[in-house]
Amino acid sequence: MSTEAILERCRALLEMMPGEALTEARKTHPDIGGLAVFPLYAPFEVIHAAGLMPVGMFGAGEQVEISHADSRFQSFICSIAKSTLELFLRGDMKSFEGAVFSSICDVARNLSSLVKRNTPDLYIEYLHLPQNMDSAGSLGYTRAEFARFRDNLSARVGRPITDEAIAESTKIYNRVRSLMRDLYDHRMRHSGAIAASDVCTVIRAGTRMMPEDFIPLLEALLDQVKSTPSHPRDGVPVVIEGSFCEQPPLALIDVIEAAGCLIKDDDMVIGWRLFRQDIPSNGPAMDPLGALAEAYLKHSVYTSVRYDRAKPRTEGLMDRMKDSGADAVVFAPAKFCEPALLDYVLFRKKLDEKGVPHLKIEFEEKMWTFEASRTELETFAESMLFD
Amino acid sequence: MKYAAGIDVGSTQSKAVLIDLARAVVARTLIDTGANVKRAGQRALDNLLKESGIPREQVGFVIGTGYGRYKIEAGDDQVTEISCHARGAQMLFPATRTVIDMGGQDTKAIKVGPDGDVVDFSMNDKCAAGTGRFLAGAADVLGLTLDEIGEISLTGTKPIRLTSVCTVFVESDILSHLAQKQKVEDILAGVHQAIASRTISLVRRVGREEEVTFTGGVARNIGMVRALEEKLDVSVNVSPDSQFTGAIGAALYAMDRVLAGDAEAAAVSDEDTVWVDE
Amino acid sequence: MRTTVAEDKDYRGKVHQLSRDIMTDWMTELKDATKSPTPSAYMMISGNCVEILRCFDILPVFPEVNALQLAIRKQSLPYIIKSEEIGYASDNCAYVKADVGYTMCGGVGENGNIPVPDFIVCNFVGCNVYIKWFEHCASMFDVPMIMLDIPFVREDGPSTDDVKYVMTQLKELIAHCEKLTGKKFDIDRLREVLGYSARAERGWSRCKELCKRKPTPFDAYFDSINMMGPINALRGSKVAADFFDQVVEQYEGMVSDGMGVLEDERFRIVFEGPPPYPYYRNFRNLFEAWGAVAVQSTYSTVGGTWEFGFTHDPERPLESIAEQMIIHNLCNRSMIERYAQIQSYVDEYDADALVIHSIKSCRLFSAGQGDMREYFTKDRGVPTLMVESDLEDPRYYAEAQMKNRIDAFFEALTYKRIRGKATA
Repeated sequence: MSTEAILERCRALLEMMPGEALTEARKTHPDIGGLAVFPLYAPFEVIHAAGLMPVGMFGAGEQVEISHADSRFQSFICSIAKSTLELFLRGDMKSFEGAVFSSICDVARNLSSLVKRNTPDLYIEYLHLPQNMDSAGSLGYTRAEFARFRDNLSARVGRPITDEAIAESTKIYNRVRSLMRDLYDHRMRHSGAIAASDVCTVIRAGTRMMPEDFIPLLEALLDQVKSTPSHPRDGVPVVIEGSFCEQPPLALIDVIEAAGCLIKDDDMVIGWRLFRQDIPSNGPAMDPLGALAEAYLKHSVYTSVRYDRAKPRTEGLMDRMKDSGADAVVFAPAKFCEPALLDYVLFRKKLDEKGVPHLKIEFEEKMWTFEASRTELETFAESMLFD
Repeated sequence: MKYAAGIDVGSTQSKAVLIDLARAVVARTLIDTGANVKRAGQRALDNLLKESGIPREQVGFVIGTGYGRYKIEAGDDQVTEISCHARGAQMLFPATRTVIDMGGQDTKAIKVGPDGDVVDFSMNDKCAAGTGRFLAGAADVLGLTLDEIGEISLTGTKPIRLTSVCTVFVESDILSHLAQKQKVEDILAGVHQAIASRTISLVRRVGREEEVTFTGGVARNIGMVRALEEKLDVSVNVSPDSQFTGAIGAALYAMDRVLAGDAEAAAVSDEDTVWVDE
Repeated sequence: MRTTVAEDKDYRGKVHQLSRDIMTDWMTELKDATKSPTPSAYMMISGNCVEILRCFDILPVFPEVNALQLAIRKQSLPYIIKSEEIGYASDNCAYVKADVGYTMCGGVGENGNIPVPDFIVCNFVGCNVYIKWFEHCASMFDVPMIMLDIPFVREDGPSTDDVKYVMTQLKELIAHCEKLTGKKFDIDRLREVLGYSARAERGWSRCKELCKRKPTPFDAYFDSINMMGPINALRGSKVAADFFDQVVEQYEGMVSDGMGVLEDERFRIVFEGPPPYPYYRNFRNLFEAWGAVAVQSTYSTVGGTWEFGFTHDPERPLESIAEQMIIHNLCNRSMIERYAQIQSYVDEYDADALVIHSIKSCRLFSAGQGDMREYFTKDRGVPTLMVESDLEDPRYYAEAQMKNRIDAFFEALTYKRIRGKATA
């Protein structure tokens, strides 16, 4: 399959409503059920082991006109919360078993209540992911929370979710994550090999496919991209920070690169790329849930929705810049995103201390013109190129 | 006492209506509010009496409403424009159960009971987004009058999508669409659609129940009427008296008092209310 | 029903004065601590474990109370603007902005009114902003932040794993306090402190219960603020326990004399959401003008839902602290539970309406209140009014619009009553 064909397939998936993506998956996995996952993270392995397809809910901004949800949420609430609620209120999620939310922010938590109240037939789960990474009780708690999720999910689907199944799913998702790391790595080393918006397209599409289908797609893409010669592009190497939940429109990502930046790394769809290394799935005392819990606590990338005393996010950002060879940071938080906007203050303080240039451009999922941002980005890039 | 009057002092225009014991409208008047809001109510009342030829002594009770309601000195009492629009709309169209009032600076959706009482309401009064002011801004930019933009919007075939309904940006939004060679009628269609969408969400908060009556100054805009009908999927009542709905409602409340024997002017001005801060 | 109140201002004033006295004493302690080596720690109000600090004689400091005081004295805006200058967004919680701005302007430290804390205890109870707020403080002061991760209530109650996790963290906090103060943890001292907590909590609960009477002896929203400081910040001290004994006496006295806080109580309401502190009295007057008084409020229970029967138990010190932090407060419970709380208030306190004050700063309270409004008006038939402003930032309060909505609402309720009487 050519790169363009792969990208076409991915774009088609992104244009679908979540229910349509589930129907599409049933072509290769008949009768598979689905569980929607509101960003950022849920133990995908457990969902998969339950015989369900985890489907990332990243809002429906461009596709859906918000006509019900805006009477429930105020105007200063992020768009993803409204468009997600809209999908549930319209009945678009009927074909799913339900959805899982987590403690990413106050809005997400209230959203889960609103969804639950308004869709009583669906299984709506709320995970309290740990915010204390280094208590003696952290691992036990995290494992217990994953176990609670497994038990509730099992009751919903009416079949047990065995350790063996979770271990198998872990292997599969390890492979997915490893391939995604390869893709990011390749982009970082070879500017011009693949457009940042194409990487995003693929990664986002991956949240709407069974991992068994995503793996060959990624493998084919990597094959193509690695074997196709490309001209290196010029530009200011940057990392994007703040796009961990509501996703920037692909057109905006193009604008960032067209304005003269090279995106070396980013935190888009970070919940599905949370682990730096494979999660052990076999071994003498196989405890796949414990392994997931340990990975979440100790081997995951920093995000704005998690407190880690031992590794502050500002350090994480500096490391990310160093590892990817970036010279600057473009903050791209969604409008009204509370965690991103609060973190911006500390990030900015650190970057100013270190003399690292940075720019903030806010977006909304349903934006489709970016004139103001383009001007700012061009000015920003120029100021660094002619330093 | 054979009459009752209602005064509706708006941010730009003040309306006054005179009704008789049978609750029929016998006179109506419209003036510019001007800078002196306190005086506007009195001026509207004076105008009304002059036009109708009815002496002040025959007007048993006067109720003031609208933007300047508790600055009005001319009324004997005040009632909110929400209550007045509900009552007024129900008189104009007795089967009214939902009122959409779009004025110069705010938009309201009101759920009305069979007697014209307010069951529930929802307002957009925090900013001018999606209100008459937005339309006025759009008209300005395009060099058209408010009366023209509605008609023209109906001929648009490909309504444009606005990036925001923020009145601050309406000018630059429209200019950039014009620069992209979009047709004026398509731009206007898009503007009307966007405002209608925002209004519909207000309506949803109170629940859309037929019949729906559209009141306020913007109800004269046929483009807005059609856009609302399309989004609500129901036909919308519009009276030639739509601008006077608030004043009519106020007059009806005033007539209640006349009939109940409240002939004295119980003057309640805002000086009586002492608001002491901590 | 007309009540005869000779000088209601006096009664309202009495409890207010008692509260001011003990809160002022605490403020004085804080100010003294700016220049002394007294150990102090930051803590959040919701579901807090102030008792643990008290049993080590560590002075508790609550930045939320500081922010509240700034707002009610109309001093918050310059500090908010200061924070916005260094990058805080207009949409960020104004409590944070006011507190951070205040800190940047020297309000904390030797020349200020609040001591620099020796460490920061972040009791993460519901509010995610708490975590970031305290991270920012820890960065400004360069002091350690201790995270107390309190699992949100996701099933019917806390699980044994939830309680175990919290208790482990409490023990880790205790170890930290030992290191800081050089004192050994004394469980009997903690029991004593919890005894004072329990006495205060019973007092609170009794006062809230008195609001079921007609007329209500105090406004459970606007007057609750007099009790919230003592119960949330001063809890565990003898002074707070004694305060509640006196307050109960006051209100019980009023009730037995048939006295209400309002001379003419016409509408009994349940209030949801924090108040607009910069316009506190103004906002209250808009309701008093209609004879409307709050008989219950959700905001008063942010720190603890004492009126539902829970009190700290000296016989189970750490367990009862853990339970309180997890489930016996508003913030750690879902919107759905809040709806149930409101409904029980409407039923048990015979309320006529629900008023939702939706504030821009606080998404925990506000995000989705449109759904709450829909639920109560459509599903439960409770007349509901929603008004909007902010709890800390005065720029979001528009008096004319506020009065308009409030008047329209009570006009409608009044006409409904009149019509109801006419057809009766």
